[in-house]
Amino acid sequence: MGSVTPDKTLDVKGKICPYPDMDTMTTLKKMEKGQILEVFLDYPLSVERIPRNLKKQKHKLLSSEQIDGPIHRLLIEAHGLK
Amino acid sequence: MNLVLTGLILGIVFGFILQRGRFCMNSAFRDVVLLKDFTLLKSVGAALLVMLVGFALMNMTGVITLNPKPLVWGANLLGSFVFGIGMVIAGGCASGITYRTGEGMVGAITAVIGLSLGGYMTAAGFLASFKTNLQGSTKLLAADGSNLTLANLFGMNHALLAFIIAAIAIVVWYLLARGNEDDEMWGASEGTLFDKIFKKGWGWLTTGLLIGLVGIAAYPLSAAAGRNYPLGITAGWIGIVKRILSPENTLGWLSWLIIGIIVGAFIAAIIAKEFKFRVPKAGVMLQTFAGGLLMGFGAVTSGGCNIGHLLSGVPQLALGSILAGISIILGSWLTAYVMFVRPQK
Repeated sequence: MGSVTPDKTLDVKGKICPYPDMDTMTTLKKMEKGQILEVFLDYPLSVERIPRNLKKQKHKLLSSEQIDGPIHRLLIEAHGLK
Repeated sequence: MNLVLTGLILGIVFGFILQRGRFCMNSAFRDVVLLKDFTLLKSVGAALLVMLVGFALMNMTGVITLNPKPLVWGANLLGSFVFGIGMVIAGGCASGITYRTGEGMVGAITAVIGLSLGGYMTAAGFLASFKTNLQGSTKLLAADGSNLTLANLFGMNHALLAFIIAAIAIVVWYLLARGNEDDEMWGASEGTLFDKIFKKGWGWLTTGLLIGLVGIAAYPLSAAAGRNYPLGITAGWIGIVKRILSPENTLGWLSWLIIGIIVGAFIAAIIAKEFKFRVPKAGVMLQTFAGGLLMGFGAVTSGGCNIGHLLSGVPQLALGSILAGISIILGSWLTAYVMFVRPQK
């Protein structure tokens, strides 16, 4: 996914349950349709739970990669409020 | 072989499953109100069903003797409600913070320190008389002096009632789940079998069924070591505190289970490349420590945590455990609302 340039980056490494999910969802809510959010997180439960819950808000997971130990990088396309 | 060591071995298996399944009752209950996510709740339900049937069969055939905890309604209500508040603040239930200790999450380590100290102070420290008085003054027994369960409350055979409840639950579940596709209930839909087991998180059904089987295996193994009860967490941590405070205390089956959980979760995390010491901000560690203290106080007051009461007592149909379970859920929902839902409005 090197070709995708994120519009915004969110670093929730070291945060405890459920802040990685909450922060990601609230940030996505404020973004315009089609904008890309990049999230760095190191909490395994959220790495799986965030993609599961994106679908409900109609956001789109572009990629999820394990980059270093528990640290993952998610790329998400915001659905936008309008 | 020393019989308490079966606790260590089963603990390693349990810890491995907890880590792979990301099993946490804090998330299970809280996510229902917070994210409308029912995944882990379904995992808890599957585990309870397996144990409900398994315990009834083992009790019927004489493999185990059921040992439901007493109904101490005041202590169950207050203690478990405080426990439910504490686990949302701590960011994990008693088993969740224990397995995440093995993943290297320092916020979980400060939470288990809080749980152990809060539990110890309530079991043997300055809060012990409060707990004993509350339990003593609100204890209710069946007419024959035994601990109250749904079975002796209705005057029914335990196994028969357990099978009826299980059958109803399965039918209701089937009706509710109909039409909801769930392609990842067993695990990840892509990747090799090795990746599905050791690299990706397990599906809720796989996790729930396996935790149910761990509970079933725990009962006779623990009983053989002189502790007639299936799984637990908080009392195991208190046992570790007592051993540290005075070396003449030996570790019991449950404390070995705790050590096993940490080792098992560590092994699972290493294989998945998910182990790392992750140190949150000081304020977060203080928060999880405080949450842990509340959990320890609540669990000992009520006579069990989410594992001792909810996961192990509910399948025995113990009234005290059912009340404690409801109270844990209500405490967690209230706290999730105050901490996360209301600030967003």
